[in-house]
Amino acid sequence: MAEQTLSADDVRRYYDQHGPALVAYACSFVVDVAAAEDAVHQVFLKLLRGNTQVPDAPLAYLYRAVRNAALNARRNGQRDVPLETQDLCFVHRGGNREAALALQAALTEIPEEQRKVVIMRIWSGMTLEEIAATTGSPLSTVASRYRYALGKLREQLKPYRKEAL
Amino acid sequence: MDGQEEKFESYLRGFQPRRPRALPFPQAAAAVWIRRLAAAAILTIATVSSIWFVSRRPGATIVAGTAKNHSGLSPAEFEPNTLSLVPLTRLALEDSARLDVTLTNASRNVLPDPRRNDNALRSLAKE
Repeated sequence: MAEQTLSADDVRRYYDQHGPALVAYACSFVVDVAAAEDAVHQVFLKLLRGNTQVPDAPLAYLYRAVRNAALNARRNGQRDVPLETQDLCFVHRGGNREAALALQAALTEIPEEQRKVVIMRIWSGMTLEEIAATTGSPLSTVASRYRYALGKLREQLKPYRKEAL
Repeated sequence: MDGQEEKFESYLRGFQPRRPRALPFPQAAAAVWIRRLAAAAILTIATVSSIWFVSRRPGATIVAGTAKNHSGLSPAEFEPNTLSLVPLTRLALEDSARLDVTLTNASRNVLPDPRRNDNALRSLAKE
């Protein structure tokens, strides 16, 4: 697979478009939102230095790199902080903090591949076809992962989404 | 995708992941370079235009080092605007008589000509 070095403009574009989704993804590996942000920062700073070769599908690289950075942070002794006592990875438009907390918890409970598909689809704004191309998985697999994930999340968030029903 | 799923998707979009703090993008450095280039261009334009303006002034016809080789020209061919220090010096060293003629010719073009009808001296003399 061909590799490339991203320009500062490309890095900025990816950061603006996918930064929040990547923080949400990192949040499922580290409990502390600051650590999740640090993981995302670390990856993008490395890209900004311009000495990192990125594959043709930069998003796949970004998700993988953020995952590794978050796991490293966790391994390096980041203390697990109870979710209730710290900032949340998500903010609910209606200000429902409990629902945001429940979403964060629900996302950590679904399998990683399903979680990634949901985050890419909902918060990175990618189509299922794009996700399939990015992750290198068949479209049917991506679609079923997405459907399973939505089903589980819907179940978990049922008590909080009365207003949406 | 059924309606239920779409509804739940839009519910999920009601949650916004936390936006990470800004990265130190190197745009400031680029902007500094653009500003420096612009300043250099303005400075160059100002310098060139002031030199041009000074050289075009009637009183400043003798400018050092602007002519090519005037020593080969006859005194009559010397234009006041092309008088310059280097060929005049060369002419003074090679042929002082020609220098006198050249300066005399040039003075006719540079200084007011008393033979002209609209000359002030002529008007005064009439009075």
